[in-house]
Amino acid sequence: MPESGDTNTGETTTVRWDSALEAIERCYELGWTDGLPVVPPTEQRVGEFIERSGRPSQEVVGELPERRREITVGKVAANAVMAGCLPEYMPVVLTATEAMLEPVFNLVGPSSSMGGAAILSIVNGPVAKELNINSRNNLFGPGNRANATIGRALRLVLMNACAAIPGVFDRSVIGHPGKYTYCIAEAETETHWTPLHVERGFSADQSAVTVFAGEAPRQVRAVGHPEPILHAIADVASSLGSNMSTSGSVGDTGVGVRQGQIVVTIAGNSNLWKDWTKAQIKEYIHARTQRSVADLKAAMVLEGEPVPGDSETMIPLIPEPDDILLIFAGGEESNMSSVIPSWGPKVGSTAVTKLIRWAGTEKNVA
Amino acid sequence: MENAGIPSATICTDRFIPTAAGMAKMWGAPDYPTIFTEHPIENLSREALRARAEELAPKVVRVLTGEG
Repeated sequence: MPESGDTNTGETTTVRWDSALEAIERCYELGWTDGLPVVPPTEQRVGEFIERSGRPSQEVVGELPERRREITVGKVAANAVMAGCLPEYMPVVLTATEAMLEPVFNLVGPSSSMGGAAILSIVNGPVAKELNINSRNNLFGPGNRANATIGRALRLVLMNACAAIPGVFDRSVIGHPGKYTYCIAEAETETHWTPLHVERGFSADQSAVTVFAGEAPRQVRAVGHPEPILHAIADVASSLGSNMSTSGSVGDTGVGVRQGQIVVTIAGNSNLWKDWTKAQIKEYIHARTQRSVADLKAAMVLEGEPVPGDSETMIPLIPEPDDILLIFAGGEESNMSSVIPSWGPKVGSTAVTKLIRWAGTEKNVA
Repeated sequence: MENAGIPSATICTDRFIPTAAGMAKMWGAPDYPTIFTEHPIENLSREALRARAEELAPKVVRVLTGEG
């Protein structure tokens, strides 16, 4: 761990190298990597990415005033190159970066906190199929270039452009496997459910990316029948020890626990859910994601001596049904699902969905 | 806040020395006199936290009056 508080400066640096291996090693020395080798960001390659974005290199995508950083198109391009992206991924990486820098996302929180947060990006719309962003088997990886490199590009943007340096400004106690990469798509054409981005205000023929500061996915191994699956999902989401069931930094929830948003993925064959809409599922999970005052007192989340009735008095852990980001995603083999609790209270970081300016792989900026 | 002309003092636990140093450098004040206290404080009782605050108060005064 660096003791001096040294970080890279966030400024553009030009270095020379004579071979690919030397360049890869030099990138390590410069502190530009996540621990894995990066593609050397040559001027030519970065230039291709900037050109593909259709935006000027110096255009400011967003700011992180707490760390005195301006994030430009050129900086995003350099990190996308290093992550191993293809040039056509640029609109997704740029839009996800813009989304992370929206004030309600409060990026300085999940990128610095002792809690283990990674930034999950969920891609919806035609862009997901055109770029072959995986929404099925091995949803969270490995094995697919778009998922692996888009998610990795966002982490490198965080480390190199936003100064989220482990041990200095990123003080996560246990880290998070998703901090290497954490990008998925919804299998929206394989279900009757309304796609996530349409629920959040866009149209089905538009493409959008949603960013969410989350803990790691917890697999839910309940299959076969809708109610038992949803019961298990709610039970997992109600566990002690998650962000949502802890106290401290409670904000304005007024209930003594943090509460927060969650992402739920449900896989398999959508026919199992033919009698269920997303809204009905979210209502069902929301009503059952809760913990008794007795349990919360026993865990010292709530203060006070136990009193009669504590076991029957339930505290909800999710503010509203729409704070459940439900997507149809994962392998076709089974209806297994996953729950991803938020990193912090909703007031500390709220998921953001942004439109991707996209008009096909040949001419990708509308 | 110092840049805005408002005297200020920062207290950190000692596990965050590199973070405080990084922030001071980033804001162009590498010698900024951050006050450190023993980590952790989040599990301290109200009484213990009050005792810690009383112990730190003279240091805060020194920093605010430019004698830090």
